[in-house]
Amino acid sequence: MRKLPDSLVRLLIVIAGLASVVLCIRFLVLPRSLTDMELHKQSAVERELEKPIQFAGSGICQECHEDEPATLAAGYHSTLSCETCHGPAQAHIDDFEYKPKAPRQRDFCPVCHMYDPSRPTGFPQINPIAHNPLLPCIECHDPHDPVPPETPRSCEACHAEIARMKAVSHHVQLECKVCHEATNEHMLHPRAEKPTKPANREFCGSCHAEDSDTVATPHIDLKTHGGRYLCWQCHYPHFPEAS
Amino acid sequence: MNLDAISASENILRETTGFVFPNEIDVLWSIMIVVYPYLTGLVAGAFILASLVKIFKVRELQPTYRLSLLTALAFILIAPLPLVLHLGHPERSYEIFLTPQLGSAMAMFGFVYAWYLMVVLLLEIWFEYRRDMVIWARETKFPLSWIYRILSLFSNDLSQEGLNFDKRATRLITIIGIPSAFLLHGYVGFIFGSVKANPWWSSVLMPIVFLFSAIVSGIALVLILYMVLAPMRGEEINMKCLDRVAAFLFYAVIVDFSLEALDFIHRLYESEESIHILSELIVNKLFLSLVVIQILLGMIVPLAMLAGIRIFRANAELRKLIYFVSAILIQLGIFSVRWNVVIGGQMFSKSFRGLTTYKMEMLGLEGLLLALVLLALPLVILAVLLRFFPPTGSPAKDLSAST
Repeated sequence: MRKLPDSLVRLLIVIAGLASVVLCIRFLVLPRSLTDMELHKQSAVERELEKPIQFAGSGICQECHEDEPATLAAGYHSTLSCETCHGPAQAHIDDFEYKPKAPRQRDFCPVCHMYDPSRPTGFPQINPIAHNPLLPCIECHDPHDPVPPETPRSCEACHAEIARMKAVSHHVQLECKVCHEATNEHMLHPRAEKPTKPANREFCGSCHAEDSDTVATPHIDLKTHGGRYLCWQCHYPHFPEAS
Repeated sequence: MNLDAISASENILRETTGFVFPNEIDVLWSIMIVVYPYLTGLVAGAFILASLVKIFKVRELQPTYRLSLLTALAFILIAPLPLVLHLGHPERSYEIFLTPQLGSAMAMFGFVYAWYLMVVLLLEIWFEYRRDMVIWARETKFPLSWIYRILSLFSNDLSQEGLNFDKRATRLITIIGIPSAFLLHGYVGFIFGSVKANPWWSSVLMPIVFLFSAIVSGIALVLILYMVLAPMRGEEINMKCLDRVAAFLFYAVIVDFSLEALDFIHRLYESEESIHILSELIVNKLFLSLVVIQILLGMIVPLAMLAGIRIFRANAELRKLIYFVSAILIQLGIFSVRWNVVIGGQMFSKSFRGLTTYKMEMLGLEGLLLALVLLALPLVILAVLLRFFPPTGSPAKDLSAST
């Protein structure tokens, strides 16, 4: 067999030395809690457990407070935990002298309810500057059952994004009820009872058909234009394209 | 999250539109995460330039070969530091080696890094410098002689056979090194490219774009270093070598430019739902760093300058000036690439309806000052390396003293 070059031999000795040191540390020195994945995860859990607990959890409040959790569970805020608004409450569990915060300022609720175009349409959103200025929210809304004291008077209260878009479109003069029929039930239970949408082409045709007597609206031949599609399947009625 | 942090987020939420949740409004990956791919890219790029000499036999580049290797080593030693600084808890960093998590690309970083540093760079530099270290160990005085002796592993073999083996070994390691350098930086691109929730990052082209921008930045860096260091050592700049490095830089910039243009056109043509917010991002938030610095100053201007030099035959002094300015601009451009990827990807809301702002710290653990220190530190290491391992090596006449 050919003799290995001197440099390679030296290098191999060093690599073997390094490898054996690493392997020794890995298998002989290190405790299993560091190398075993399960134990490692467990020790991470233990490490986390040692941290002071701040949140008491969603179930514990109703052991002492009966009314509020029951009201909460039946209302629109049923998906929120008490601590979402009242803040971490473990200190209150440990010592009843400590009272969790009860946000009464006007700037708290808009964190979720201020108008934001990225929030889903139908989600109650207000403009804090225009909506009953200076009044604290809890003056009119009970946060545990946040049904508005009266049914919304305009569609804009919930459908702010559509209202803003329509306000700068050619359809600005049309009220929502021209095209949608919304019962009072929809105002009370918006998801259970939905408003109607135009169901045929003739509806838009009443303004836009060739024989329509409206002025300054685009007119089309309903027989040849658009085939079998409904008008709003191609044209967005809240922001119809410019002329 | 404590109450202060919650109310701080609430305040930012009020100042911004389009963000549904307070937890996506902070730019968590700071300038440290910008510095990390930039440094790694320089490593991979410098190594690729070195490999041109050994594998592709580009003889003209020989004067930059050792400089490239030492540059790669100096930068790779600092490359993980920004990550450690960003994550905190350096005392836990070794744990990623103890419990390898094969399913997580991020958790594999330690192994990719260790492979490249230990198996590729250190070994190649050792074989490349072994002959010189043996000679230096004989010629220098204590304690320097002992440092060389230990570093050369007490090797004393200067026989032709031994030297031939060193050459073969260097070549073999370079062959392994090229895919490893691709792996190292392709990996960094992969980390970003595989984040499918982020349309600015999620692209299969990302690893390849990262790789070529790495090659561009690495070649430009070695060109700058060579042009600065050669006069400092009192050497004449080898124009043949410089022209060749600049030529490779030119080709690499063309490929990089084409890939980035392809990525851009592909996104535009695909026009996914994110395209509106991404155009807003480019026009409003990244205009300076992407359109002006990255594309115009970092790519089109140097490309035009390097092309101009090839069309109109300029004299050596003008060529040097153009190469140097182009390389500096390219460095600026590639740093902007990293900035635009890392920071840009966090500046729009996941609802695609709003943009946020990154306010960089100045003096903090993730601040500008520390970033500048991290960018300068490899140069300090390189200065030390060059002091102990001068690329010129030891005079050839010493070979006669072989045992």
